[in-house]
Amino acid sequence: MDTAVSFSQVTHTYQANTPFAQNALDDITLQIEKGSFTAIIGHTGSGKSTLVQHINALLKPTSGQIDVLGKMISPETTNKNLKAFRRRVGMVFQFPEKQLFEETVLKDIKFGPKNYGVSDQDAEAAAHEAMELVGLDKSFSNHSPFDLSGGQMRRVAIAGVLAMNPEILILDEPTAGLDPKGHREIMDLAKFLNQKKQITIILITHQMDDVIDYASNVIVMDQGKVVKVGPPEQIFNDPEWVYHMQLDLPSSAEFAQQLKLAGVDLGELPLTVEQLANKIAHLVGKGDTK
Amino acid sequence: MSNFIFGRYLPGHSWIHQMSPQSKLLLCFYFVVVIFFANNLPSYGVLCVLILVAILSSGISIMYFLKGIRPLIWLIIFTVLLQILFSSGGHVLWHFGPFSVTDESLINGGFIFMRFLLIIMISTVLTLTTTPLAIADGVQTILKPLKKIRFPVDTLALMLSIALRFVPTLMDEMETIMNAQRARGVDFGSGSLKHRVKAAVPLLVPLFTGAINHAENLSTAMEARGFSDSEHRTKYRLYKWQGKDTISWLIFILVGVAVLFIRK
Repeated sequence: MDTAVSFSQVTHTYQANTPFAQNALDDITLQIEKGSFTAIIGHTGSGKSTLVQHINALLKPTSGQIDVLGKMISPETTNKNLKAFRRRVGMVFQFPEKQLFEETVLKDIKFGPKNYGVSDQDAEAAAHEAMELVGLDKSFSNHSPFDLSGGQMRRVAIAGVLAMNPEILILDEPTAGLDPKGHREIMDLAKFLNQKKQITIILITHQMDDVIDYASNVIVMDQGKVVKVGPPEQIFNDPEWVYHMQLDLPSSAEFAQQLKLAGVDLGELPLTVEQLANKIAHLVGKGDTK
Repeated sequence: MSNFIFGRYLPGHSWIHQMSPQSKLLLCFYFVVVIFFANNLPSYGVLCVLILVAILSSGISIMYFLKGIRPLIWLIIFTVLLQILFSSGGHVLWHFGPFSVTDESLINGGFIFMRFLLIIMISTVLTLTTTPLAIADGVQTILKPLKKIRFPVDTLALMLSIALRFVPTLMDEMETIMNAQRARGVDFGSGSLKHRVKAAVPLLVPLFTGAINHAENLSTAMEARGFSDSEHRTKYRLYKWQGKDTISWLIFILVGVAVLFIRK
């Protein structure tokens, strides 16, 4: 597969050359494949958000360079001529409902495409398509975004990003503060976009169950460094290390780990509920073990 | 913005850090008044020595102060140039059209430069060594006498401390919203004036709605915690007048008296 994003020896220092200088990224080298579903995990302040803001050049590296869809971003990159590039990388920030401002939902969703020079008609078509994707009824079109509920506002904001037809979609904790249903819907949408539309998804999350259920590739960050890259099964196979990184195990693995402490060893850690159920069934000897 | 150090706080444990905020604030005002009494070279020399001592005792490097002044240097130079080129009186050294340079205007220009420098220095020492909340408490203590004329000192102090508390929060929020809109194709700070004003709308509307939400949540949370009015409260942070304050005041008063004697 092709690479969509490639970091080579990227460092980023906030407020360089002042007493407030803070090293946020430290010599990052990594690749993200086109069409993959990558989860970035790590405890608070490990540099996840800083890392993803480099992908659409909102932040520039202090040293090193990044290749995103063939576009080179280096410390010398200026803000000029970045527009066409930024359209290809959609970014949903934490609590994206904060960015809504237009009078109506439709206008707000059209705002992105229109900034990139799409005609009004095409923008409207894209907006309707995006609304359908995020599960917003057409009747919301002429509502003010400020009259909606929190979950609906979040969908409008995500639709505003999807309407630009990005090739890479970055989601920074998209389900924070949502109820379980809203959570599942947003995550299923991400999966749908990834599988049916071949959009590369980069997800920052603290929910290890989501990592197991959705991601094909995981990047673990700690203190501005990438400490581990691999498929989810490989990341979570060492509970001690996971705890040491101040992360959690997925709930099935956590349950198995507790069982082990109580004297019931299931062997290799199960990651999904299904695996866990199978192992327990196998253990009690009347299970379906296929 | 990142080079602009005025109004920021650097944690530390120096002599100045430990002084009480009200005495620091008053000392600052007092020093500014003294600056305007100085009118010859020796008097400015004394004040420079004093400010140097103050900076050294704050434990912050002088280079950092100088760097912090750099963004303001053009404002200072502009004012000094106006003073030099347009003032009359004294012996004319050079003139061209409406501009003239006299010996007196040169001296006045020099004094203005010194005044600017000293005022910026002393206020930077104050803000670098005092947390915004301590400054708000200091203002409250100083304004206490105004209660006698029914001025709402406590309410003002409360508003001031909430405002100061939310400056970094709103700055962060602004940064995030700017980035989010940039990712949606907004160009901030480029193009024609009309274009720039239009680009501010997607930033200002969310910023205001965010501020209103903050205010609503904060007032609910305050009421839930038993806040009813800003009077009849006890204080958690108490700043006492210490020996350090007395000694500092003695030094500053001595210098002030010296300046009065030295001036012409």
